[in-house]
Amino acid sequence: MNHLDNAFLLVGFLEIALVMFMQWEVYITNIIKTFSISSYLIAILFLIVGFINKESYILVLAALTALTRGWLIPFYLKRILRKDKWRARETSPLVGISSSILISLLIAVVGYLLYSLTLSNYIKSNLGSIPITLMLQGMFLIISRSSTFTQLIGYLIMENAMYMFGYIFPELPFIVEAGIVLDLLGVVMISGAIIRLREDVIKNGSEEYTELKG
Amino acid sequence: MEFIYLLPILFSGLGSLLCILPFLKFEEDISVIVSFGALFSSIYILFLPNLTTDFFYIDGLSKIFLVMTSAVYVAAVIFSIYYIEHIQNKLFQSHFYFFLLNTFVLTMLFTVILNNLGLVWVAVEATTVTSALLISTENDEATIEATWRYVIIVSAGLIISLIAVIFIYSSFKTLSFAELLKLYPGLPASMERITYFGGVLGIIGFGTKAGIFPMHTWLPDAHGKAPSPISALFSAVLLPVALFAIERILQAIPNDGVKVFAFTLGLLSIALAAFMSFNQVYYKRMFAYSSIDNMGIALIGLSLGGYAFVGSVLIIIAHAFAKSATFFLTGNVLINYESWKIDEVKGISKTLPATGYSLFFGSLAVTGTPPFGTFLGELLILVAIFNTYGVMITLLTGLFLAMAFIGINYQTLRMVFSEPNREKKRENYIVVIPIINLLLALAVTFASPLIYNILFNGAWK
Repeated sequence: MNHLDNAFLLVGFLEIALVMFMQWEVYITNIIKTFSISSYLIAILFLIVGFINKESYILVLAALTALTRGWLIPFYLKRILRKDKWRARETSPLVGISSSILISLLIAVVGYLLYSLTLSNYIKSNLGSIPITLMLQGMFLIISRSSTFTQLIGYLIMENAMYMFGYIFPELPFIVEAGIVLDLLGVVMISGAIIRLREDVIKNGSEEYTELKG
Repeated sequence: MEFIYLLPILFSGLGSLLCILPFLKFEEDISVIVSFGALFSSIYILFLPNLTTDFFYIDGLSKIFLVMTSAVYVAAVIFSIYYIEHIQNKLFQSHFYFFLLNTFVLTMLFTVILNNLGLVWVAVEATTVTSALLISTENDEATIEATWRYVIIVSAGLIISLIAVIFIYSSFKTLSFAELLKLYPGLPASMERITYFGGVLGIIGFGTKAGIFPMHTWLPDAHGKAPSPISALFSAVLLPVALFAIERILQAIPNDGVKVFAFTLGLLSIALAAFMSFNQVYYKRMFAYSSIDNMGIALIGLSLGGYAFVGSVLIIIAHAFAKSATFFLTGNVLINYESWKIDEVKGISKTLPATGYSLFFGSLAVTGTPPFGTFLGELLILVAIFNTYGVMITLLTGLFLAMAFIGINYQTLRMVFSEPNREKKRENYIVVIPIINLLLALAVTFASPLIYNILFNGAWK
């Protein structure tokens, strides 16, 4: 295993630790900050990869990651949150904190098993289990929480996991990567608008709507 | 010459630009003009040869999707002018609504002409961004909740298809369709597993947007709560555009395992729609399940290929016209009855005769009744299922289709031919639009040789 793979493993484990912390955290500002740290970590990883492999294109991606995922998106989300302080703590997660701890640990095991059963023959190292685990953790965050902010962070974690896949597999053409970043920004902006609307009309998280049943 | 192929996109793009300017007060007229421009240029493209460049890949299927999207676009714009006047608590002004509508159509038109799977992913995700706020036009709690569910479920689902794009790129070292179509036969055996996963994940991911089981949960919420012209665009065009991406994946990876997987998801989708159509309380939601039913059977046809593929295309086109008509009509019912519930809407055939009878025929058309194009499509697909999977699976598929037929038409009959609970009302002339669309759904049957010709020979000859 070369130095780059070691760096990837280190960042990967830190990412998983951070996302597990998010599963257990109820203060949304802390979740947003943790997401920001996890994005910066990915940017650092790409920075190292870019420098060692001398690929300017990876360096641009690292800068884009730090700028959009590390700074801009968390900044935007915190700004929305500041307007509605009562939203800062999630009061009614759909899965309790103790169950979340247990399930997020189980997801790490399931991610590894899933990888062993599917992709391990194709990828020659154990690196592939990290993005899969991260993706499942992101999905679980979307399912287990009722706060729109946390659900959006869950989606963004899935997006970050995709970026980590980019290390194992060949990088997509730049025009596609740029399109993905644009779409990501679009989704966050639209989500921000919907979060504002949702807060205006819904004060207690997801309620039961008879019109949306069946 | 290439410029002509981009005309539909340029028209809708021009419409978006002009509608965003609040000082121009003609957003409705502008949208009507550009939508007709997109339709006429799409029809003109039918007569041109196929086009392959670095960025664009326009074959017979793309051309059919261009015409279908533009035709529903025209109808949705005209119906919107009537419908949005009746929305009480609008989220935004009319010019912003038409800006979003034009941009939404622009992203859909883009999706079907691109020669790069990665950019197709980008365009499909862009349809989420451009369409989300349109769902919440009728600004209330349930609508905003439905919008949020749409954004989060579809975006998370599309991440899965992005993994598929990465897998496919790692196997083929290209994302260009023109290249992908040639490369599969020469693929080394060691790559087969990763391309299989690429295909499967692509179907799940894009299937989320197409309303395919198990990631369909956003669809009844969004279709049920969006304004009627937007529900029409979603059901008639957006879902097929996502199926279009799946078809491109099936073309690029003609792996038997991937096809069986697509078939299974299609079958589970129609099973779900069959059971859910019986216990629906809200009529728009019920027709949303009918969309899952139609997309499910269309996916089955795409997985089988050959004449079942033609069957799928016939279903997609006839469903686009019939379902958009049905959603327009439900919009008219909602305006006049002021209720979303099936139980509270009685005797439409007496209070609004043109709407009532059209809704009855629309319901028949979307459930695959002869002589509508959906029937011919279903028939072709059932024959192909029989030839590939045998009699039991064919019977099972037929049973699910029959259940959805009974469930949906029974509820529609209850609304249309029961004793009225409202006074007779004066019909608005706008009902002509859904009637034209229903006639087009009927015309699909008779145009099937022509559609076959465009699909396999590339142009209207």
